[in-house]
Amino acid sequence: MRRSSMILRVVVLLYVGALVGLPLVFVFQQALIHGLGTFFRALGDHQMDTAMILTAKVALIAVPLNVLFGVGVSLWIVRHPSWLTRAIDTLIDIPLAISPIIIGLVLELAYAQNGWFGSGLAALGWHVMFSLPGIVMASIFVSLPLVSRQVIPLLREMGNHQEQTAATLGAGPVRIFCTITMRSITWATAYGVSLTLARVIGEYGAVLIISGNIALVTQTLTLNIGANFDNFNDYQGFVGAALLALASIVLLLILGVARHRERKRHDYLA
Amino acid sequence: MTISLNGVTKYFGRDLVLDDVSDDVPQGSLTALLGPSGSGKSTLLRIIAGLEPLNSGHIELGGRDVTNVAVRDRRIGFCFQDYAPFRQLSVFDNVAYGLKVQRVPKAQLRREVDDLLSLVRLEAFANRYPRQLSGGQRQRMALARALAIKPEVLLLDEPFAALDAQVRGELRSWVRELQHELGITTILVTHDQIEAMEIADRLVILNEGRIEQVGTPDTVYDKPANDFVQGFLGPMTVLNGVACRPHDIELCDVGLGIDARVTDVVRLGFEVRVVVQTSSGESSWVQLTHAEAQRRSPFIGEHVSLRVRTTADLFR
Repeated sequence: MRRSSMILRVVVLLYVGALVGLPLVFVFQQALIHGLGTFFRALGDHQMDTAMILTAKVALIAVPLNVLFGVGVSLWIVRHPSWLTRAIDTLIDIPLAISPIIIGLVLELAYAQNGWFGSGLAALGWHVMFSLPGIVMASIFVSLPLVSRQVIPLLREMGNHQEQTAATLGAGPVRIFCTITMRSITWATAYGVSLTLARVIGEYGAVLIISGNIALVTQTLTLNIGANFDNFNDYQGFVGAALLALASIVLLLILGVARHRERKRHDYLA
Repeated sequence: MTISLNGVTKYFGRDLVLDDVSDDVPQGSLTALLGPSGSGKSTLLRIIAGLEPLNSGHIELGGRDVTNVAVRDRRIGFCFQDYAPFRQLSVFDNVAYGLKVQRVPKAQLRREVDDLLSLVRLEAFANRYPRQLSGGQRQRMALARALAIKPEVLLLDEPFAALDAQVRGELRSWVRELQHELGITTILVTHDQIEAMEIADRLVILNEGRIEQVGTPDTVYDKPANDFVQGFLGPMTVLNGVACRPHDIELCDVGLGIDARVTDVVRLGFEVRVVVQTSSGESSWVQLTHAEAQRRSPFIGEHVSLRVRTTADLFR
């Protein structure tokens, strides 16, 4: 091996190790410091379990909505370009560019009971702040571009000739979408889903503001971890953190394997 | 099935890309839409397929007005220049696509797809994926896929442009034979005049969105309607102020034609290009076959006499 590539390897390994590897190991080490028995007992913590269920609920609502939106908006941007889609293409990245705290504050401004839309909605009996809808909304907002950013380049690269050919063969729009378009973007969408899922279950700032962080009611798993550290209940916090980290690792592993298999079978750039 | 275009007009934004195009394509013919890039030929093909709306005019297939009929209901076989293979589907499933749409029973579907695959000589590749095929094989797959729905009209957009020279030649004659065998009315788009004259029995020459001339390859080549057609179909030069084809000029004995001096002799494979300057200072060139050039062996500085061959000369 050449010396320069050797040095490069060492630098990359040290960098990634110090930033990602060590802290991750530390989380698991802290979670298991009192042994497996204590760890499993800590998993039964009522407040944490309630928070975990809330996080799961949010993910189950937010992720499918984001997939629908992401795929739909990608098709629109790529297949029907106009000044409007170019504007949307840029605007859609805003959630990644601004701090989640600000997203939370903006949503609060709009949807609090005395906010722009909030007062009207409250009159109808809908309360967005300090409730599940608010948390879902914040989660969707922070993960808005994650699916479309994966799907758009693939749709562009694919072009529309396959879809038009299918139309000349008698296929209708639904069949074309299911048999041609979706098959080409399945893995990009799946990757977007996993990123969205990771973002939604890991979101803290925006959800903190909009949920009010009420234990057993609007406290998600990340908020529960934060609360545990605030209340000098570090061990419980590490258990929660280890759970989240584990979920992310499993998610990425599944996707890595699936993507690798898919790439072996069909080359996107055939 | 006949195809009839009546006053087809198309704008892209403010640009007029097709200007009142009318033509009647006879049943069973192989028509080439020929023109330089930007002449509107591909757009016209897409309009006939229904892939592109038109601004005015109408289109009839076999006497039926299809101007407002959707692509999927026109039953037209269409092949893109890039063949647009369904990448995620096997060769078999690519060809079977149109039949599946029509809900053809499984056994019949298998039989029909097998027949088509042997027609395009891809029997051995049924289970491959498009990326495992060569360019020529992909083109044949796309053709089989289009033929599967038994279209009465076949539209091919620059079908040979993406292939290398040798495969292109083979496929051209193969497509021509296939078209004759099936008798299916076919329109193909090309910018290559030699290809058009070799494969088609009818040429429609387009320029800047207008039809310049329609006719058999012989007619348009020998009796071009205007300077554009003449210039587009083959090399042109000017002798004594008259446009003519360089291979129609012959070197004759001094005194019998226009006096000129040879300024350059370029050998291009079987053809030899003799560049001359006439006594009036006009620059022109003569195309000789290799055999003619060997017989005469023109050299730079030689004084020659030139005249345009007349049809009568050919029968001397």
